[in-house]
Amino acid sequence: MTLPAGVANVKARFEGVAKRFGSGADAVQALEPIDIDIMENAFVCLVGPSGCGKTTLLNILAGFETATAGRVLMDGEPVQGPDPRRGVVFQQGALFTWMSVLDNVAFGPIAIGKSRAEAKAIAGQYLEMVGLTSFSHRYPYELSGGMQQRVGIARALANDPEILLMDEPFAALDAQTRELLQEEIKRIWQSTRKTVLWITHSIEEALFLATDVIVMSARPGRIKARFRPAFALSKDPTVVASVDFMQMKAEIFGLLREEALAAQHQEATR
Amino acid sequence: MKTAGAAARRSRWINLASFTVLLLLWVAITTPLPGGEPLVAPLFLPSPGSVFDTLLMLMRNGYQGKSLSVHIGISLFRFGVAFVLSVLVAVPLGLWMGMNQTAKAILDPPIEITRPMPKLALLPLLIIWFGIGEVSKIVIIALALFPILSISAMQAVAGVGRRKIQAAMALGASKGMIFRRVIFPASLPGIFTSIRVSIGLGVTMLVGAELIATSSGIAYMAMSASDFLLTNVVIVGVLIMAVLGYTLDLLARSVEKRIVHWGGKEG
Repeated sequence: MTLPAGVANVKARFEGVAKRFGSGADAVQALEPIDIDIMENAFVCLVGPSGCGKTTLLNILAGFETATAGRVLMDGEPVQGPDPRRGVVFQQGALFTWMSVLDNVAFGPIAIGKSRAEAKAIAGQYLEMVGLTSFSHRYPYELSGGMQQRVGIARALANDPEILLMDEPFAALDAQTRELLQEEIKRIWQSTRKTVLWITHSIEEALFLATDVIVMSARPGRIKARFRPAFALSKDPTVVASVDFMQMKAEIFGLLREEALAAQHQEATR
Repeated sequence: MKTAGAAARRSRWINLASFTVLLLLWVAITTPLPGGEPLVAPLFLPSPGSVFDTLLMLMRNGYQGKSLSVHIGISLFRFGVAFVLSVLVAVPLGLWMGMNQTAKAILDPPIEITRPMPKLALLPLLIIWFGIGEVSKIVIIALALFPILSISAMQAVAGVGRRKIQAAMALGASKGMIFRRVIFPASLPGIFTSIRVSIGLGVTMLVGAELIATSSGIAYMAMSASDFLLTNVVIVGVLIMAVLGYTLDLLARSVEKRIVHWGGKEG
């Protein structure tokens, strides 16, 4: 793409993307037609109540699922199935348990045609980035949950993808580990400026990390509000205690609460 | 860790005590009472000592013209060939069924229809087809192991975490690489479980197969000794089969532990 300097590219675009599960009377509309532009170098967080279709949206961009309507573009090209240019980090249970940590991270480079030696060198580099060099020859089950997620992040980064898709990667971790990893992700993002689509339940996490926060409604998922916090650019971990942060958090909390109640009501009347 | 180790040691002592009590009970009811006769007549249950003597005698003289090791060897041969053949055929077929809907649609009916059938019931038919030689015995054992191994392999494939497969796809792995480096290893714990189950079943089938139309093998030895009321030989035969089954299971377990070190653990 040749755009004037200073004008950001659209890295990925959802155009009227909708998703319906099932057919006939049992069909469930998971997503109303949605439009989102993910700009290059942006860190986009999707927040919303359970079942609002956040993960579906991510899966469609990842190429794991197809949209019922609309289309998803990356660099202007329609998404057709999974692609190593889009790295995915999952919540848990996605590591290859039978491979050492190093082999897990080297898997991607080997898959895209690098030699074994080259792949291991790359893997070593990314393990260093997430601070796990001394655990290279351990197996995932020998690591704590937080370390496992760091392996997952290193594995996704090892292919040097153009966009990272992260589906609640820290949801299963305890609060302290989560905060440390959030700082680490922020550091990695600030240094690599990789485009990120991040899904979370946590408003704080979204505000702390994202340049764009998109609040979704209860099912069927629609975009309820968009925010552009500036905290992601801060290097200060105590930014979460600032007044601006608190205000935006309260505002999003109010929006999400309405939606969570609506979602609960849906569950109850189904 | 220390308390877990202590608990394990305590359990081992209790195991040993329980075993000793059983053995003492056996000695008690087979030792002649002051009146002259033991509680249980030797014809029904000989004493441990005399069973041991019989074992030594069988090791020296063999049984019906064949040495004890020949009997054990032929039993192991029948089991081993049937087991290896079933694993080599059934596991790949099961994996294929797990990967391929068409393969599953083709192979499911014959396997599901024959699965509940008691395989020993087929032995008379197999004897007509394959004669009374080794083939009919090997086939009957293999037939019993086949559905367990293939269905388990298929289910193991179906049980591979979707996220692991998606992760591999997103990393750019080809279908072949996903199978070799993700689906196959992820299925191994399930496959090993079925292999251990099939060892137990295979030994059972071996006994069944040796009860008819043969003149060798450990189960044959026990069966024919029963015709002559040689209770000692029967018990030696039973114990050898028990040790055989136990050893094979231990072997499978140690291989499993070595290969599937991640079994039951998540990461």
